[in-house]
Amino acid sequence: MKASIATFISLLLVMMSLSSPAADHQKTTLKKPEEKKLDYHRAMWDPIHFQPAIAKATNEQCLACHKEILERKVRKTSPAGVPAKKALAWYQTLNTYQGPQETFHRRHLVTPLAKKLMKMKCTTCHQGENPREEAPIPPDQENQSFTLRKQVNPKTCLMCHGAYPYKIMGLPGPWNEVRDQFQNNCLLCHSTIRTNRHKVNFLNADAIEEAGKKDSDVCYGCHGGRQWYRISYPYPRHPWPGMSKETPDWAKNRPTESPRRFLIQEKSASK
Amino acid sequence: MAAETTRPKKDTKKIRAAIKRRKHATYTPVKPDMQLGFIHNNVDCIGCRACEMACKDKNGLPPGPRFRRVQYIEGGTFPEVFAYKVNMSCNHCAEPACLPTCPTGAIFKRKKDGIVDIDSTLCIGCRRCEAACPFGAPQFDPEENIVKKCNMCVDEIEAGRKPYCVMACMMRVLDIGPIDKIWDGSLDTVAIGPHDKVVRQVKNMADIELTHPSIGFVAHSKGKVE
Repeated sequence: MKASIATFISLLLVMMSLSSPAADHQKTTLKKPEEKKLDYHRAMWDPIHFQPAIAKATNEQCLACHKEILERKVRKTSPAGVPAKKALAWYQTLNTYQGPQETFHRRHLVTPLAKKLMKMKCTTCHQGENPREEAPIPPDQENQSFTLRKQVNPKTCLMCHGAYPYKIMGLPGPWNEVRDQFQNNCLLCHSTIRTNRHKVNFLNADAIEEAGKKDSDVCYGCHGGRQWYRISYPYPRHPWPGMSKETPDWAKNRPTESPRRFLIQEKSASK
Repeated sequence: MAAETTRPKKDTKKIRAAIKRRKHATYTPVKPDMQLGFIHNNVDCIGCRACEMACKDKNGLPPGPRFRRVQYIEGGTFPEVFAYKVNMSCNHCAEPACLPTCPTGAIFKRKKDGIVDIDSTLCIGCRRCEAACPFGAPQFDPEENIVKKCNMCVDEIEAGRKPYCVMACMMRVLDIGPIDKIWDGSLDTVAIGPHDKVVRQVKNMADIELTHPSIGFVAHSKGKVE
C-alpha cells in the first residue's frame, strides 16, 4: 500500500513538473530580454521565434532585440565611391518613390509611403522557424512553414512582387508597354472590375484606393512595377458586382478568401 | 568663353522624352548563351561542410556570411529514420530576383555562362537582394556593411577550373556543368550515379517557378516532391 501511495505521489510530482506547452511559452517568451540576459543561442531558440508564440508577438517584443532593423542605414557611398544619393533602380523611377535610399526593412515599415499605405508588422512576413540550419521534422511538403535558407516564405513577398498577369487580364502586353493605350489609368477598367480588393489586415485599403485614384503609378508600384519574381500571386477571387458566375480556367482552384492570418478580423498580421 | 557660346542649346523636349523613356522602364532578364549550374547529390553527401570552409576561405569571409550552406534534414520514427543534406549556394537563376532589386546595378548576369555575379564595391548595403532571393544566396557582411554572394568562383571558371566548393568535396557529390546536361542526366560526373534521376526541386526549397534556379539534385526518397 505504502509503495503504491509513494508511486502515486511521485507520479503527481512528475506531472506537476511537466506543465502544458502553452504555459511554457508564457513563461519563456521574451518580454524583457535585458533582464533575462539571454545568451545568443538561448535567445535564438526562445519560443517567441516559433509558432504559436510568434503569431501573437508584437513589434515591441521583436524590436526589443532587433532594433537595428529600423536603425540601420545604407552606406553613403559604396566601397568604390558610388554615392547612394545618385543610385536609382528602374522601379525607383516611379512617381511614388520618394526620399533617399533606404534599407528594405525601413521601406516596408517606417518610410512615409509605407506608413500611408501599409500596416505591416514584423510578423506579417516573419512566421518563425528562424534558425536556418534546422529543417522541421518531418519535412514540410507544402513549404508553408519553412523554406530552406529563408526566414520568410517568398510566397508572402510574391503578393506585391509578382509578375503582372497581363494575359489573364486580357491586355495586349505588359503595363509598361501598353499603359499609354489606357491613359496610364488602372481605374479605366478597375472602377467596375475586381473592385473588391486590398481587403487584408496588413494594407490600408482606403488609403490605397485614394492614392490609386490620383496616380496609377501607385497601383503599378506593387502590380508589376517591383516585379522580382516570374510568376503572379494567385489572389483570392472576391466577387464584385456584375461578375460572371462562371469561373475561368486560370482561376479554377483559387481560394475565395485570403489566408486566415491576413483577414481583417484577424489582427495577427496587422499593427 | 568661345566654348560656351558654341555649346548646343538644350533641347528640353528631347530631355523630357529621354526622362520619360527612362521612367517606368522595366527589367528584362539576360538570356545567356549557356547556363552553368550546380548538381548536388543529397543522398551521398555526408555533411562535412568542407565545401563551406573552402568557400569561406577563398572569399575571405568573416564570421556571419556563408555563401554555401549544407542543410541537415533528419526525421522519422525508429526504425524508419532518415537523414539527408541539401546543399545550396547561389543557384545562378535563369531569372534572378536579386538582380532587379539592386539600386546601383552591382548585380549582373553574365551572357557567356549565366553566372550571376555581384560587384560588391558598388553595393550600398540596402539588403534588398538578400530579401528577394528565394534561396538565401546573397549574404550580408556586417563588417563592411555590404552584400556579397557566390559567383561560382568566376576566376576559376575563366581559368578552366571548377569552383573551390566542388574541388573541396571529398565525396564528389557536388559538381558544376551546363544545366541542361545536369537536368537530363547526361553530364559526365560522379555526383550522379548510374541509376540516379536528377530533379529540380526538393522538399522545403522555395518554389522554383519564382526564378528558375540553375540547380539539380539527386534527391533522397524522403526529400522528393511528389
